Amino acid sequence: MKKNIVFAMLVSAGVLLLQYQVPIVQAEETGPVHSITLPTIPAELKEGPGKDKVMTLCAICHSPDYIPMQPPLPAKTWDHEVHKMIKTFGAPISDEDAKIISSYLAAQYGADKK
Amino acid sequence: MKSRFFSRRDFLKTASSISMVTALGGGIPSDLFASEGKLVRFPEKTDLILLTSRPPQLETPKHFFKELITPNEALFVRWHIANIPTSVDLRTWRIKVGGNTERPLELSMDDLKGLPKVTYTAVIQCAGNGRSFFNPRVPGGQWGNGAMGNITWGGVRLKDILAKAGVKGDSVEVAFNGLDSGPLPTIPDLVKSLPVDKALEEDIIIAYEMNGKPLTMLNGFPARLVVPGWYASYWMKALSDVTVLSKPLASFWMDPAYRIPANPCACVPPGTKPDKTVPINRMDTRSLIIEPSQGNRLPVGKEATISGLAFSGGYGIKDVVVSVDGGKTWREAKLGKDLGKYSWILWSLPWKPEQKGKYTLMARATNSIGESQPLDSLWNPSGYMLNTIEKVDVIVG
Ligand code: HEC
Repeated sequence: MKKNIVFAMLVSAGVLLLQYQVPIVQAEETGPVHSITLPTIPAELKEGPGKDKVMTLCAICHSPDYIPMQPPLPAKTWDHEVHKMIKTFGAPISDEDAKIISSYLAAQYGADKK
Repeated sequence: MKSRFFSRRDFLKTASSISMVTALGGGIPSDLFASEGKLVRFPEKTDLILLTSRPPQLETPKHFFKELITPNEALFVRWHIANIPTSVDLRTWRIKVGGNTERPLELSMDDLKGLPKVTYTAVIQCAGNGRSFFNPRVPGGQWGNGAMGNITWGGVRLKDILAKAGVKGDSVEVAFNGLDSGPLPTIPDLVKSLPVDKALEEDIIIAYEMNGKPLTMLNGFPARLVVPGWYASYWMKALSDVTVLSKPLASFWMDPAYRIPANPCACVPPGTKPDKTVPINRMDTRSLIIEPSQGNRLPVGKEATISGLAFSGGYGIKDVVVSVDGGKTWREAKLGKDLGKYSWILWSLPWKPEQKGKYTLMARATNSIGESQPLDSLWNPSGYMLNTIEKVDVIVG
């Protein structure tokens, strides 16, 4: 019964049961030292002018998947985010690059785009 | 718009407030778990929903919420700054206790394990759990409802450790730091603090076990703070420093981050800013419908079960009522095993729909001090503390 529910959930989530049965990745255990290796998951961002700047400058402190995770935001909010990264967190981004990045974000991930 | 300022802890019972909510379109979108995106597998974890990879933010898929206890490998992951610990040597790892104390301490894992052990089950929930259901939407981690879990924590009382160190009389706060750091020195370190009276409460522990096992690395190995009843933002992972302070902590992560409007509903009219804020603190009361799911089809005249979970900020759950007619009438659900005031409780209600059509299911929990859930969605600029009564539409026939 329980298995069926899990199966149904997985199917509805579009996941193969096979994948689910793969055992979880274990930590590397060497005595008192506990270690893991983080997987690398490339972020996929939409194509558009300024993408190259975003993929480098917005990936200094965190993966750029912080961007596609967001809901469509007004251009003003995106611009505010870019300046928050610069002012609050010290992102080394010039005014000129900030403008290019803000336009890319508004065009590709904006709320006011048609 | 006066009703927006009702406490989020009260249920808006009056007929007029119900019709007002209906007229507004009922706030939150339908399936509170719908946003299940890409699944990824991190070390010591099962397939979780990817929000971000560096630092990792991973959400628990819905099917785990049928269980009373969340398995360690399924618990959500939320780090803030990207240099997270990936290797810890217990021979050298210590928790340093100091600041405004009679004496400094350095505690190893063996020292912790030598102190009296406390075990209890408590919900851990991210302050932004459910943020993606805010309307208008707000920036931040776009969690569905899977940034929560129910874990049996084992560890030592913070109070016992602070007593060993000797907290000086003029202390006001206790600050907590972990092994994580920012990749650039300009990124504020993740340091959080609790008022000293709160830090000395009986139930706050430094946990070195989850569900009887060592913590997973991504959930804060080797030890983390557990502040049961409060949002997880205080539950410092990979704890390294406990510092008693005679002045309030100045930290980006206490102010301006993790603040809520300073009013009973912790809310403001959508799109506006609060005049005054306070640090986020105790969790509000929530109930979630786990089965059936939004859009499910059920047969006519056959008994189905509506089930879910409920919890509150440290005051247990007194009752859960369920409506199958969009809030016109309510029936009391049967509560499952009670694991104490900090745990969630599973609930269920049999339901035999006799007529074809669309039904709106709702569930509302009340805790032991009468705190409940609002019908109207309460908005704040950071998308914290979502606890609106959830609606799930199903089709019969
Ligand atoms: C100097 C470091 C740094 C750089 C460079 C940086 N960020 Fe961030 N960003 C942060 C930190 C720190 C956070 C908070 C992370 C958390 O809480 O998970 C953050 C969070 C975010 C968020 C989540 C919403 C929020 O405000 O917390 C978004 C969106 C974001 N960054 C976008 C960007 C974009 C776009 C760029 C490129 C212009 C960028 N970041 C560059 C440090 C940086």
